[in-house]
Amino acid sequence: MRSHEAYVPPTAPIGPLLAKELREITAGRALWTMLLLVCPLVGYSFAQAVSLYSESSAPALQSPVLATSLSPLDGILVPTFGSFYVAVTLLFPFVAIRVLGQEKESGALSLLVQFPYRPSTLIATKFCAVLAAWLVVSIPALSALLAWAILGGHLAASETLNLLFGHLLYGGLVGAIGLFAAVISDNSATAAIIALAVTIGSWVLDFTLAGRSGLSAWLAQLSLTQTLRPFEQGLLSTGLVLRIVAVIGALAALTVVWLPPGTPVRTKIIRSVSCVLVVVVALTVAAQVRASVDLSEDRRNSFSSADERLLATLRRPLIIRINLAAEDPRYIDLRRNVLGKLERALPDVTVVLANERPNVANPSDAYGQIEYVYGDRSDLSRSTSPREILPLLYALAGVQPPAPSVGEEYPGYPLVASADAMLLWFFGGLPLLIVLAWRHIRRLPPDKGSRIHQGVKP
Amino acid sequence: MSTVNDRPSPHRSAPLLGVRNLTKRYGSDGAAIDGVTFSAVAGEILGIIGPNGAGKTTLLEAIAGLLPVNSGDVSWRGEPLHAGRRRDVLFYLPDGVRPYQDQSAQQVVSFVANVFQRSDADIRSTIEALGLRPVLRKRVHALSKGYARRLMLTIGLLAPHDLLLMDEPFDGFDLRQTRDVMGVLRRETARGRTLILSIHQLADAERVCDRLILLSAGQVRGSGGLAELRVQTGLPNGSLEDIFLALT
Repeated sequence: MRSHEAYVPPTAPIGPLLAKELREITAGRALWTMLLLVCPLVGYSFAQAVSLYSESSAPALQSPVLATSLSPLDGILVPTFGSFYVAVTLLFPFVAIRVLGQEKESGALSLLVQFPYRPSTLIATKFCAVLAAWLVVSIPALSALLAWAILGGHLAASETLNLLFGHLLYGGLVGAIGLFAAVISDNSATAAIIALAVTIGSWVLDFTLAGRSGLSAWLAQLSLTQTLRPFEQGLLSTGLVLRIVAVIGALAALTVVWLPPGTPVRTKIIRSVSCVLVVVVALTVAAQVRASVDLSEDRRNSFSSADERLLATLRRPLIIRINLAAEDPRYIDLRRNVLGKLERALPDVTVVLANERPNVANPSDAYGQIEYVYGDRSDLSRSTSPREILPLLYALAGVQPPAPSVGEEYPGYPLVASADAMLLWFFGGLPLLIVLAWRHIRRLPPDKGSRIHQGVKP
Repeated sequence: MSTVNDRPSPHRSAPLLGVRNLTKRYGSDGAAIDGVTFSAVAGEILGIIGPNGAGKTTLLEAIAGLLPVNSGDVSWRGEPLHAGRRRDVLFYLPDGVRPYQDQSAQQVVSFVANVFQRSDADIRSTIEALGLRPVLRKRVHALSKGYARRLMLTIGLLAPHDLLLMDEPFDGFDLRQTRDVMGVLRRETARGRTLILSIHQLADAERVCDRLILLSAGQVRGSGGLAELRVQTGLPNGSLEDIFLALT
């Protein structure tokens, strides 16, 4: 039964642990229930998106100008994955919590922490299982992409993959929140309350504080909802990716800190504070990283190539002083049409928001003015359109505007189609396949050939 | 089955595990264990006995490093043993745990055996010794209390550690099964393993243990072999039950 020489391996192979985690997550009902709920949710959103897109496409088929406004990213992908985002926000925490909560509730955690794995290895493996679960629950959304392609719809690889990457990061973030909630809670119900308080509270934060200035704007930035917006606009922002990865890493580190039951709470708190300090530094550094890539096919986040090339040669600092309130629609227009693009194209841009609200009783002429200072020259404008602002900047820099680019216009992809038949897939075929897969996975491995039964090491 | 009376005492010159002044308090309540001191020598079965709430489980969890303590030390072969390193030398088998309930007993055994890189012979003999084979394909949640206990014992015996701590290892077994498992544990000690068992059934403890620690209200009320305890209590023919009542 036992060798005479006791041998406790300092580390154990990772394979059995990962296999155990995957078995655990697929053996539970949470994953499959979520998958079954996501099917009709995504299917209905997809069908509605196709219907609206078709209505808009009908006149656009006759007019190339109208067609340019029809982007599958906005019309199909974002609404379809929007419903997936809702499901991940509300349901995925339950799947992630189970990965750790089940072991805490059954007492198996006291066995697990005695196995020759570091706590960080245990949590890393559990996080891998959570990501695998995210991949499984994304099957309906991925099948919507396939359905769109079958209907003859256009998919731009770069913006589609970028959107998927954003959702993967968001899934990882929600999963990390679930794991952390599970490790600090006595039971799964409490963990679910904590995780949902964060995810749903994040929505509230976004709804109530978005578009405001000062502290409110900073708080709104903390909303999880903000993480997906750039990806939905076809933008891959290095700073944002680094910030999300830093937060996921911090949550994972905190989970590692709170995992060992034998560590005194005081020690855990001290280590947690250290983790938080490290992540604050990491977030500060990541906030300085402005590099981003516009992966949208219609280049909505960029000026024309000729303008981008010319703007990149303007090496002196550009200071933009904006005399508008943050919630003013003109400021929102300016940020979307000009400021965001300038920050990507110019090497050194500083935006100063005056942050003043218009005084209705005593209106100021200065409100609405935007001052552009380049080197020792400056100019004022009230426009929010790049057609007026770019020539102004070129004049300040003393350069000639570039010749208009030819052949860069986004053609648009109008499509008149019906996704009604696809509803059969989302409401019937796919759920049936999921149930069959669930039954198959829940079946115990066959007796015949079992290595334990044959006396061979399993 | 031998009892504490008729077995030669293990070699006691070099304690394998030393526990000194171990104290654990929960908030403002009294101490769950209060200044517990004892040692275990290699190859013995040391029984920790006491009524419900005596602090047996707390003591085992504290020794295993799964529960932070307020004070006290644990040493291994005379050297201080930090809580983070305890899992390197000892393995604790908790009571009332049904691990990975949606998986089959076979999958759980496979997982543990692979983690500890146990040989085919070890796996086979452990399963046979504990009679787990009939339920290997059953899910853990469907196991009877007795077979769930056998599964936990299988996990414990697959752990290759020199020292095993077991919380109520005979709970859920009938008389015959208890005696069989005692035989299995006794064979483990014959191979050099040391066992510390928390037992609330005094008759079981008397049958299987070499030495006993009597715990009551978190404090050690007596320790030693049955003969020593009889001398301590002045009950030359007393049973363990008599001794326990006299000391607590």
